Amino acid sequence: MNLRVIGCSHHNTPIALRERLAFSPEQTRRALVQFRQQFPDAEAVLLSTCNRVELYAAAENGDGPTRGDLVTFLADRHGLDACAVDKHLDEQSSDAAVRHLFTVASSLDSMVVGEPQILSQVKQAYQIATEEQSAGPVLHAAFQAALKTARRVAFETTIHQRRVSVPSVAVADFAQQIFERFDDKRTLVIGAGEMAEETLRYLRDQGAREVTVVNRSPERAEELARRWEGRAVPWSDLLAALSAADLVISTTGAEEPIVTLAAFQTVEAARGRRPLFVLDLAVPRDFDPAIGDRPEVYLYSVDDLRQACQRNRAERDKELPSALRIIEQETARFMGDLHHRATAPVIRRLQQGWQKPKEDELRRLFNKLPQLDDHARNEIRESFDRLVNKLLHPPLESLRDEARHGIPHALLDALSKLFQLKD
Amino acid sequence: MLSKVTVLCFAASYGVALALELTRLLFRSGVRGAVMLGFTAAGLVAHTAFLFYQGVRFNEQLHGIGSPLSSTQHWYLTAAWVLAVVYLLLTFSYPKVQFGLFFLPLVLGLIGVAHHFADPEPAARAPDARIWGLIHGGSILLATVSVLVGLAAGLMYLGQARRLKHKLPPQRGLRLPSLEWLQETNRRSLVVAMATLAVGIVSGMILNVIHHDRDKGFVPWTDPVIVVTVGLFGWLLLSSVLGLVYQPAREGRKVAYFTVVSFAFLVAALAVGLFMDTQHGGQRQNRAWRGDRPRPAATPADSQPGATRPGPSVPGGAS
Repeated sequence: MNLRVIGCSHHNTPIALRERLAFSPEQTRRALVQFRQQFPDAEAVLLSTCNRVELYAAAENGDGPTRGDLVTFLADRHGLDACAVDKHLDEQSSDAAVRHLFTVASSLDSMVVGEPQILSQVKQAYQIATEEQSAGPVLHAAFQAALKTARRVAFETTIHQRRVSVPSVAVADFAQQIFERFDDKRTLVIGAGEMAEETLRYLRDQGAREVTVVNRSPERAEELARRWEGRAVPWSDLLAALSAADLVISTTGAEEPIVTLAAFQTVEAARGRRPLFVLDLAVPRDFDPAIGDRPEVYLYSVDDLRQACQRNRAERDKELPSALRIIEQETARFMGDLHHRATAPVIRRLQQGWQKPKEDELRRLFNKLPQLDDHARNEIRESFDRLVNKLLHPPLESLRDEARHGIPHALLDALSKLFQLKD
Repeated sequence: MLSKVTVLCFAASYGVALALELTRLLFRSGVRGAVMLGFTAAGLVAHTAFLFYQGVRFNEQLHGIGSPLSSTQHWYLTAAWVLAVVYLLLTFSYPKVQFGLFFLPLVLGLIGVAHHFADPEPAARAPDARIWGLIHGGSILLATVSVLVGLAAGLMYLGQARRLKHKLPPQRGLRLPSLEWLQETNRRSLVVAMATLAVGIVSGMILNVIHHDRDKGFVPWTDPVIVVTVGLFGWLLLSSVLGLVYQPAREGRKVAYFTVVSFAFLVAALAVGLFMDTQHGGQRQNRAWRGDRPRPAATPADSQPGATRPGPSVPGGAS
């Protein structure tokens, strides 16, 4: 029995090579079909995301494909030279491969630790392999255990709750604590910037629909509004747009605040004391910090959010040992089960070997005591069953214990010899 | 079997649920949520059984003319029951929010007051006054629960608003609802409390008129319980009207403060009913028993046919 993973990730492989090795879902399906044709006795799951390409291969009987086989297989799918690719690919096998899979699924190996997308990507990879029938008993067990481990890590630690990017902290830790829903809220984007766009993406995920864009350049405002399915308003209407907004994301390059306290106070009455969430991502700031002291205004600068990110990162680091402990526990449990699975043929023969003498003895006994009624016969039969189970219990327990540390070859040989077990 | 259920049974269940809720601040656990809900549900079952048995016992004691909320203690315990149901429903709807930290102390507080200070003896009423008594006690009870829900939501709002103003990340193990949800809950609790209290006051006035015609059980309009209750109603009315006509009063923080002040009025009204000389609920006649604490619960033998006991001392009207 063998389990191996070969692949590359953001840790040590340049993005240029990752892009060349990446598989789309359709390519993944085709690759898995080809894998089955090439290695009919082996199993495979192919995980391809923007940060990693990993091929998990296993064989229930025998050693399965070698590293060279897998490297060549991956390289051939993209018409690359296997020797050139080989040095960029990492390989792990047995319990290290299982630990790696569990770590990846739990999002501890991600570029942003704790990001939730990787779990759905692992699920999707496993689902494709299941549909293409390239996942067998070993990889079914491994991926199901990986999903269970990821759920445990998510449930028993707060790693996934601690956001560490500015847009995710802004939305999850602050905006969602102010507003219950976003589909009836108006978002105002002032200026343009990558972080504003990313924040808007998070808000969209939460249901935000109505977006208004204000930019000094009307063309740029129109372009952004088109991209975000919002509407553009002239720069001169900034205060009017502000009075209607519930959420504001501001990222202009202005050197002076574009909304002063005095200007804000002119729209306060029109706002009707509705809460206002302002995300001032500009440096220098677009909003006068004194606006944050006004009632019902929650103003966050990029520094505030970075501080929150740092606090979250520190909190998350504290949780890391707990998450790693869960992964170790689950890896040990999975490997124990895997090794125990290898002892199944011996256990089956052992149980079958004891059944025959038991049945012979019962038959002889019932022949000698024909006066026994059905009830008495059942009692005697159950008693013999209990006796056999009790006699088999110690060796089976020893096998289970030994299997925790690896396949117990010596013990299996000893049992085979002692009880003359034959295939 | 039901007679073996005591106040301690459900108070202990709620107490354990509260202790478990507090441990959320310290560490995470996979099974705690289910255990906590289990204890609260078990407490609620015992609580229901206790109230049901008390109702049946009152009916026997008063020869078929007893009704729910017949005693002050029953009234307080029913209010605690309604609040526990609200808490359970909220916890089912928002399992990650720590409602228990705010609701369970209020539930336990009501049970504590019921057990230590409230009169357990049921009151008999004339048949035509029974229905008005029930409406009076029930509506005041709902107003009380609304004010308590408002208090819990108000405190949560103030905590959450303070954290957001100070730009602090969520505290470990303490998750609160959004400000928008809390503000809406605050506003609704004020409106519901005002409406139900209005019903309570009107039904109390009708009861007083009935009693006045018979020249028996009449409560002076200047009775302190009535004065404080009308004060609470005035405050709730003022808060609601201010919210409609005056913009600054719509601020979430101000609405939260309104609910906190409403709670202060409520405590005053309940305290006056329990501890001051008042004719509301016939408390003056009934004052002596409190000095004899602990006093055993009345048995059916204590009650003679045709005897009347003072009605529940709840604020807001005559019984």
